[in-house]
Amino acid sequence: MPKTETPTAARERALRTQIENIENESGANAIAVALHDAETGFELHYKADRWFHAASTIKVPILLGAFAAIDRGELLPHSRVHVRNRFLSVVENIPFRVESGRDANSAVHNAIGKMMRVDELAYHMITTSSNLATNLLLGVIGADAVNRTLKELDVDDGIELKRGVEDELAFEKGINNMVTADGLLRILVLLSEGKAFSPALSRRMMDILHGQEFNQGIPARLPKGARVAHKTGEISTVAHDAGVVYLPKRKPYVIVILTEWDPAATGRSRTIAAISHTIYEFLTQGPPDE
Amino acid sequence: MSSSPVFAGNAGLNESPNFPLRVVDGLTLPPEYRKALRPGEEWKDSTGRARQLPRYFYEIPSWDSAMKIELATHFLLWEFIQVDVREAPPLRTFPRYVPCAITLLAVCLERFREAVGTLVHISANGGYRSPSHRFSKNATPHAWGVAANIYRIGDTYLDNRSAIERFSLIARETLPGIWTRPYGAPTGYAEDHLHLDLGYVLSVPRDVNS
Repeated sequence: MPKTETPTAARERALRTQIENIENESGANAIAVALHDAETGFELHYKADRWFHAASTIKVPILLGAFAAIDRGELLPHSRVHVRNRFLSVVENIPFRVESGRDANSAVHNAIGKMMRVDELAYHMITTSSNLATNLLLGVIGADAVNRTLKELDVDDGIELKRGVEDELAFEKGINNMVTADGLLRILVLLSEGKAFSPALSRRMMDILHGQEFNQGIPARLPKGARVAHKTGEISTVAHDAGVVYLPKRKPYVIVILTEWDPAATGRSRTIAAISHTIYEFLTQGPPDE
Repeated sequence: MSSSPVFAGNAGLNESPNFPLRVVDGLTLPPEYRKALRPGEEWKDSTGRARQLPRYFYEIPSWDSAMKIELATHFLLWEFIQVDVREAPPLRTFPRYVPCAITLLAVCLERFREAVGTLVHISANGGYRSPSHRFSKNATPHAWGVAANIYRIGDTYLDNRSAIERFSLIARETLPGIWTRPYGAPTGYAEDHLHLDLGYVLSVPRDVNS
């Protein structure tokens, strides 16, 4: 330890080493972590400016875009949207469909031909990561409008929204939604602090994120009293989790864990859970005084 | 709400006693409705030909009434007016207005239902939608109230060539003069529903003065 290093700096260095060890042992091609602790103000940015394919974490910016439209009065939470499984690729406007097998629940697919409310689609987009709900919402609000919202809220750095999900033609051409850990962190900090449009709208978005049904990542090794509002994302080459962790008797912390893998690699959720647990222990067991 | 429409029909002795909707001259509606409905205006179709939009509408006072009113034995009014957030805002609240020709479409669909022998489901945005609806780029018979997008017949979803072409053939054999969109992805085709329409039909109620 260098002579001038403060105890906090030493602890941060130790945390980085722990994450680095997890990364080395995991077999992941890359890992990035961003952390903001509202209780202590502590921040960690571990390769947090590295770009990753966003996978389904892009649904957090889209959620923000949907609520921006609500905030502007262009949509109401109960505005109805035609459920139709037909979308146009950003590549030459070629039509494509979302595979029903990729959505974890069938509620949205079962409504094809009918209508669903904006708040229902937002809920399914986040809690079961419905790709159909995502593309329907994006079809109503538009990617340009989402990007304008991110810019207006000054959280556009580290987020590149270019298209809907399951646009395979775009994927083949390398046109993908991309995120950095810091980019997602900024959005989640905004939400957790109630600063996205209004405290009430921020709370509604947080409520949706609290409904997340995929809990093998950040929440998996946290104590039972922990509540996590989060969004996962996974395709063949990446596995992510980004959320806000609420523990009893302290302010929440925001954590983003992005990972990249070979398609055949295993242990993705385990790795994310291990990093989440390490950070939990760091924040709750460390000596706060210098 | 229309304040004082010039024409309020269906009070005639020969009108159906089970059809309680008032006929409204669209030209007498408040400006926000006229802007959205464009009654009697010309609108160009995809080939550039001008088509005259409907001027006379049935006024639907509430969703409750739409849920109760039969346009045909197996078709209630609500099935023809399901529009989403892409419809012009004044036309998403009640009272709502549908072109008078909607009853012709209902009769055709009833005949079609007899031919297929099972339930026929009209999709959201697939019955009447106004010329201001965000899906309405060129003059479409949907804005005349004489087109239907059918996404499901019985338990069969019309999302593939086989199903669409099979029921399209039944529609054309059953309904003289009906037009159905061919199966396919490009503009003018349909690949996730059966579109059928009667053309640009205008219905002018008997008691109308002009």
